[in-house]
Amino acid sequence: MRQRRLLRFHGLKRPRVRQTWNKYNLFNLTRLRTPLLQNKTFFQQKWIAKSMTRGYHGEHIKEYQWERMFSRRLLSAVNMDPAYMAQYDGSEQASGRGSGQKRRPGTKNHGPRNKGNINGPTPYMQMIFAPMERRLDVAIFRALFASSARQARQFVLHGAVTVNGKKMTYPGYLLNPGDMFQVNIERVMAATGRPKMPNKNQKALPPSSEATEAAEGEEGEAAEGEATEAAEGAAEPVDADAAKENHRAALKGLKDRARKIMLMKNVHMRAKQKQSLRKFLQEVKTNMDRTRKASDPSKAEMDDVERELTALLSDLSLTPAQLKAEAKKAYIERNKKRDRQLAAAAADTNADASTTTKTIRAGAAAASLGLLTESQQSVLKWMMQREAENPHDASKPYATPWKPREWMSPFAFIPRYLEVNQRVCAAVYLRHPVARPGKSEVPSPFSPTLSQLAFNWYLRRG
Amino acid sequence: MPPRIPSSGCQPQRLLNCLESVPPPSPVPLSTLAPRHRPTASSRSSPQWSSSSSRPFSTTPAAQATKLRRKFQEWCDKNGPLFRETNPGDTNYVSRIMPVSDNQGTEPDQPFPNNKAFRSEPVLSERARETIWWSVMVKGVPLKAVSAEFSVDMRRVAAVVRMKEIEKRWERENKPLALPYAYAIAKMLPRRDLVEGEANFEPINDIHVHSYTMQQLFVPASESREFTRADAAKAFGDRVLPPDAKMRIPELVQMERSIVEGTPPREARAQFIANAGASEAAFAERQRARQQGAEAKRTRVNTDRFEFRFEKINAEDVGPTGRARKAAGWRYGAPLMDRRRGEVKIPTRVE
Repeated sequence: MRQRRLLRFHGLKRPRVRQTWNKYNLFNLTRLRTPLLQNKTFFQQKWIAKSMTRGYHGEHIKEYQWERMFSRRLLSAVNMDPAYMAQYDGSEQASGRGSGQKRRPGTKNHGPRNKGNINGPTPYMQMIFAPMERRLDVAIFRALFASSARQARQFVLHGAVTVNGKKMTYPGYLLNPGDMFQVNIERVMAATGRPKMPNKNQKALPPSSEATEAAEGEEGEAAEGEATEAAEGAAEPVDADAAKENHRAALKGLKDRARKIMLMKNVHMRAKQKQSLRKFLQEVKTNMDRTRKASDPSKAEMDDVERELTALLSDLSLTPAQLKAEAKKAYIERNKKRDRQLAAAAADTNADASTTTKTIRAGAAAASLGLLTESQQSVLKWMMQREAENPHDASKPYATPWKPREWMSPFAFIPRYLEVNQRVCAAVYLRHPVARPGKSEVPSPFSPTLSQLAFNWYLRRG
Repeated sequence: MPPRIPSSGCQPQRLLNCLESVPPPSPVPLSTLAPRHRPTASSRSSPQWSSSSSRPFSTTPAAQATKLRRKFQEWCDKNGPLFRETNPGDTNYVSRIMPVSDNQGTEPDQPFPNNKAFRSEPVLSERARETIWWSVMVKGVPLKAVSAEFSVDMRRVAAVVRMKEIEKRWERENKPLALPYAYAIAKMLPRRDLVEGEANFEPINDIHVHSYTMQQLFVPASESREFTRADAAKAFGDRVLPPDAKMRIPELVQMERSIVEGTPPREARAQFIANAGASEAAFAERQRARQQGAEAKRTRVNTDRFEFRFEKINAEDVGPTGRARKAAGWRYGAPLMDRRRGEVKIPTRVE
């Protein structure tokens, strides 16, 4: 059964700003104003302020719990500039009549200054809900690991959170400075990723292929360029369009199958999978044989290309880290080769024309046959790496490849009292939030007026 | 006895009749499925529900969207393209579209337009974290020196290194990292790379404002007296420390002092790094000594099943109530209150 207080959680009629990344919430945030308080009694003003602020700050926490947590001691800090500390012992502030000597008008010398602070009052009143930020569930929400404080609470209750490496199932655990909390990566990805749309499965596939198509387009252009080069250099009648089409189809097929292999890679390799991999390689080989029969370039070149392709495809079953290393190596080698070629070209331009035409011809041949040239290989490799990091995987509870959920960026900020490492979904609660001159560290959507009134409510005086 | 209703006029009977008259296999014409709150001209000219067979049970028109809901839809249609996705190369807070809120101007780095005091401050980029990890773990620079060099809080430096170590371990173990998530978050937040020419990342010489010092205090002092920070601290209370004693990196003040006294900055800096290293080594040594002392008081007896650890305790430590917090065990007869109503059992510390 739904709880009564959740019935109009993001209502439009009586709007409340909540700790969520909801679009209704964003709309309500834009509509949030300090209400007109002049015609209200002081009690009413405080009541309004309290109910508004508590609707955001830990609305899932019972009022008596919050009252126990509330502290009238608001923490603040100031920066002490070491250079100032070294030069002055503070007695210059007590000189004159006890409140520092007055600056002479017209002089530019402002006297000793403690640098590193904003010139402005310290917003103490925005710090009322600082104790709330110490709660584990709120901290998880602030670290951007969950899309709402309630979801963060659920993560804790479901045992997906560890504090200092030990499982913690109390959402009300108050973090101590230096505590590290860590949330299960899969939970974070599910909470912050786009939801899986069962009826949009057909549509969910194209975005992944969209990206590949964009890359493909580039490749296609590259191939076209090379084809025209070949046509000019070797003066061979090459049907550029047909070659392009051929090339594209081959690439697409390759990619699809390679993706399958990537999926298999995630699991421990089994005999059956090894068999299918072998079968796949066999298929590639037969395809290439067929294309070889269609047009007949020199056999040695073809064998080279084939070997390269086979090596590339066998690389696909590597781990992401290995793949990255491979890609780096390939990149360095390519650069070296290019340098060498340039040097060679500089040494003897006219004498070496035959070799350059040869390489061009090799590229053209590869392109016309629907095989991969070197640059295309590297692009494919890079794409594979990205794919390995963010694979298409139907078994995940979120839409894959992973993308951040919609309407998330307006809510994305990390307060300074947390240090977050998103890669391992861990965060350290460095210290309690403090107010500094001109700055407060407690994320609160309310104006100082409202916060001050709420503070007065909880003071319980008069 | 209530009046009887003839069975033919009874509701269920009518319902049955209605159902029976519907020819089951014929599909419902599309026009009858059209939403009724938007009657078209054609449907108005010819009565829509002419045949009783396709007439639905309710004739109440569907509720129209309220004005608020319409406004929300309009807002979504207008601002959806802005906020649905990440703003490439910048933050994307609502202040973007609200130059004025609550009768005051806003800044683009304000996630909440009404609260000027809270800003979204930059976070360390991946490159910056790697730099910090490298200088601490590979180059072996003391934490204080790293903190001073990059203007990053010492606690943050320690946290970065701690989590980076976990990350590296996971990489070695081939455990999957949340890379797509990390890339996406990095695109949404303001970042700092900790390279030359950037503004300071955060203040590193913070001192906590003691609550005793938040009151106004009148201390009579002669005009000729040098009333320093230390005197002021003493005036506020015996336990209030002067700022000089509260500095997190006192070696930095030393360095500045030596520069004022005429040491070349380069030398002063080298001295600072040496001092920082020495103080950290001394701290580590103290900690080790403490651990050793605790270990010396303990006797370990290892059996094949358990390791028994014996320590000397004083039975009087439990105090008059028998419930002193730091004492071992409780006095015989003092009941354990852990089942009492309202007793909080959430742990306060995890080590």
